[in-house]
Amino acid sequence: MFAFLPLRCVYTNLKNVAALVEKGVVSKEMRLMVRAMRHVMSIRRKLKGPTVVSFLKSTLPSGSDALSRLLPYVSKEEEIGMDIDTPSSALHVSSHKQSILPELEIFTYLLVLIFLLDKKSYDKAKACSSGAIKRLQQLNRRTLDVLAARIYFYYSYSYELTNSLAEIRGTLLLLHRTATLHHDELGQETLLNLLLRNYLHYNLYDQAEKLRSKTQRAESHSHQQLCRYLYYLGRIRTIQLEYTDAKDSLMQAARKAPLSASGFRIQCNKWAAIVRLLLGEIPERTTFMQPGMRKALRPYFELTNAVRIGDLELFRQVAEKFSSTFYTDKTHNLIVRLRHNVIRTGLRNISISYSRISLTDVAAKLHLVSATPVDDAESIVTKAIRDGGIDAIVDHANGWMQSKETGDIYSTQEPQLAFHSRIAFCLNTHNEAVKALRFPPNAHKKELESAEKRRERQQQEQELAKHIAEEDDDEF
Amino acid sequence: MEAKFADAEKLFDRLKSAFVAQDYETSITLLSQLKVKLTEFSGLPPLYRQTPTQVQELVLARSILEYAVILSVKTEDQESFERHFLQLKPYYTDTRQLISRSSEEYPILGLNLLRLLVQNRIAEFHTELELLPPEALDDVCLKHAIELEQSFMEGAYNRVLNARQAFPHETYLYFMDLLAKTVRDEIAGCSEKAFDFLTVADAKKILMFSSDQELLKYAAESALVPDTKELLIQCQRSRILRCFLPDEHPDWEIQKGILYFQKVKELAPCKEIPSLQMINQTLGYARELERIV
Repeated sequence: MFAFLPLRCVYTNLKNVAALVEKGVVSKEMRLMVRAMRHVMSIRRKLKGPTVVSFLKSTLPSGSDALSRLLPYVSKEEEIGMDIDTPSSALHVSSHKQSILPELEIFTYLLVLIFLLDKKSYDKAKACSSGAIKRLQQLNRRTLDVLAARIYFYYSYSYELTNSLAEIRGTLLLLHRTATLHHDELGQETLLNLLLRNYLHYNLYDQAEKLRSKTQRAESHSHQQLCRYLYYLGRIRTIQLEYTDAKDSLMQAARKAPLSASGFRIQCNKWAAIVRLLLGEIPERTTFMQPGMRKALRPYFELTNAVRIGDLELFRQVAEKFSSTFYTDKTHNLIVRLRHNVIRTGLRNISISYSRISLTDVAAKLHLVSATPVDDAESIVTKAIRDGGIDAIVDHANGWMQSKETGDIYSTQEPQLAFHSRIAFCLNTHNEAVKALRFPPNAHKKELESAEKRRERQQQEQELAKHIAEEDDDEF
Repeated sequence: MEAKFADAEKLFDRLKSAFVAQDYETSITLLSQLKVKLTEFSGLPPLYRQTPTQVQELVLARSILEYAVILSVKTEDQESFERHFLQLKPYYTDTRQLISRSSEEYPILGLNLLRLLVQNRIAEFHTELELLPPEALDDVCLKHAIELEQSFMEGAYNRVLNARQAFPHETYLYFMDLLAKTVRDEIAGCSEKAFDFLTVADAKKILMFSSDQELLKYAAESALVPDTKELLIQCQRSRILRCFLPDEHPDWEIQKGILYFQKVKELAPCKEIPSLQMINQTLGYARELERIV
C-alpha cells in the first residue's frame, strides 16, 4: 500500500509506521509490530538523509540521549547526500513530547542502522549497532522482542561486513542467555542462528554443533529464522558425515525459503546437490535448471555429470576448473570426498556391462593413476564387493573380475521396502497438512445475523405466536 | 616475573636433554613440574593478559606442549596425546596474531589426523580438516594423512600399506603400525567375500605378511578353544590345517597350500518371511491412519 507514494511522503510513511508501533505496544499485539517492520522494509530504499533527520527530530524528545547519539550518524550522510527535494525542509518540526516509548526509541535506532547499512557506511553502522545493543540491554520489555531481534541481526551483519565477527561472539552468547531467561523466544531463535552463522563463518563446526545440541529450541516464531536454522543444521551434518539428515534439512530449507531469497536458495541447492551425490543418488537435471539459478549452479551441474558417468579423469578436470568457486562455497573438502563415489559408480557401470573383465582393463577404464594400478584396482573391487556396491567375485590367479547373475528382484524384499518408505512419507505429509489447516478467516461472521435480519425474524416469531394464540381462542 | 620465566626455561632445557637421552620417566616428571610453573604465567590462554614477557611465555608454553605431545607418542599413550593436543590447539588457532608459526605445527596436526583415522573417528577427522587453511594442504605431513584417509575410504589398502614405508616424520611410525593392523583386518574381510580361494603365496602378498608362519597365525587368531591351538601346532607339520574361527574369519581352510575362504555355502533364497518386521510395519500404518492429529 505504501509502495507507490511519492518521495516526500516517505516522511508520512515513517510517521504512520511509528503510529503502528505505538498501537502495537498499547494493544500488546505482535502482529502489528511485524507489519510495521514489513512497511519499513518496503520503504527503506527511498530513505534519504534529511527525511531521517526530520523524523528523528520529530519523534524523539529534544535533548534525549538517543537523539544526541543518533543525529551525528545521520547528519554526516545528509551533507553527502543532499537532494533537491526542498519541501522536506518544511517538515522540521521539533517534538513536543517529554518522554517516549522505549519501542519508538529502539525503532529509531533500527531505522538509522538500516539507513547506514544501505549507504554502505559499515563502520558507522557498527558503532551505531553497538550503541543500540547497549541500550537494549538496559530494557526488558516483551513488546520489544520483534524490534530487538531485528537489531541483533543487523548488529551481526554490520560486524560481518567489516570482517570482525569474532569480536561479538561473547556478546551474542550473553544476549542469548538473557533472551532465554526472559523467555524471549523470537530473540532466542534469532541469536542462535546468528551464533551458528558466526561459528560456521570460521569453520568451527565442532563448536557450532556443541552449541546447537545443548540449546533448547521452542516452536519457531519466524519462518525466515526456521529456514536459516535448517540450512546451518544441514551444513553441520554434512561435515559430520551424516548425509541422510543433512539431505532432509537442506531440502526442507530450499523448499521453505521464500521465492525472493534467491541467494539463499542457490546456496541451499548447492549443498543439497553435493549431499545427494555423496549419498550415491544423482540429482535430476531440472534441479540445476531452475530460473535464476542456472549460472550459479553450473559448476555443480558439471560435477554431477562427471559423477554420473563415473569418469575419474573428467571429475578431476571439473574439480580443477571450478576450484575457486568451490573454495568460496566452502565445499572443497566435500568435493574431495566425492572421488570415492566416482570410482564406485564407474565400477558399478563396468560390472553391469561386462560379465568378465580383467583387472588391468578395470584399472585403465577407471583412469586409476598410481604406481600399482592393478593392485589398487583389485583392492578397490574387493572393498566394493564387501560393501555391497557390486555383485561379483574376483579370480586372483587369472586376474579378472566376474560378475554374478542378478536374480529376480521381485522375489526379494526390495518392493516391500520401497513401498514402506513411500507409505511412511505419504502418511507424514498427510499429518502435516492436517496440522497446517486453518479456518478461513471470516467464516464465523457469515453465520451471524445482521441486526435487520434479527428484527425480521423476531417480528415473524411474534406474528406466529399471535396466530397460535388466536387459533387457540377460536377453538374455545 | 623474569625470575619465574628463567626458572621455567632452565627446567625446559633439562626436559629437552632427558628427552634426547630417551629417558622417558624423568621427562614425564619434569613435564608435570613445568605444567605447574606454566599456571603462574598470566599471558597464556585463557587469560591472554598483556604482560611484557607475553610473547616469550606463549612461545615457551607452546614448545613445552609440543614436547608433551611427542612424548606421549613415544610412550604410546593415546589419552595423554589427546589431552595435550587439545591444550595445544588454542596456541595454533588463537595466537596467530601474537606469535609466529611454529615449525612443528604441521607435523603435529598431521599426527592428530592420523590418530583420528586410526581410531576410526572419521567425522572428527573431517571436522579438523575443515579448520585447515588452504595453503596447509600442500604440506608434506598433512598431505600424507589426507591421502591416507582417501585411500582408506576408496579401498586401495595396498596404497595404505605402501605408505608405511614413506612416512614423513619418525613420530608417525607408531600410528602407522596401528593403522597397518586395522587395514589388514579390512583386507581380510574384503578378500573373503570377494575371492573363492587364494594360494598361500598370494594371500601372503595381499595381506602383507613376510612369512607363512605369520599368515597361519593370523588365520588362527580367533581360535577360542585352547586345545584346538595345540592341534594346530601339531598339524602344522602335516600341512593340513583346520581353523575354527567363530566370529571373524569363519571357515578359512588351508589345504595343500591353498587358502579356501568360506566354503561355497549357497544360502538358499530365504524362504522365511520376516514376519516381525511386517507386523510392526502394518501396525504402524494402522496407527497413523487412525491418528487424530
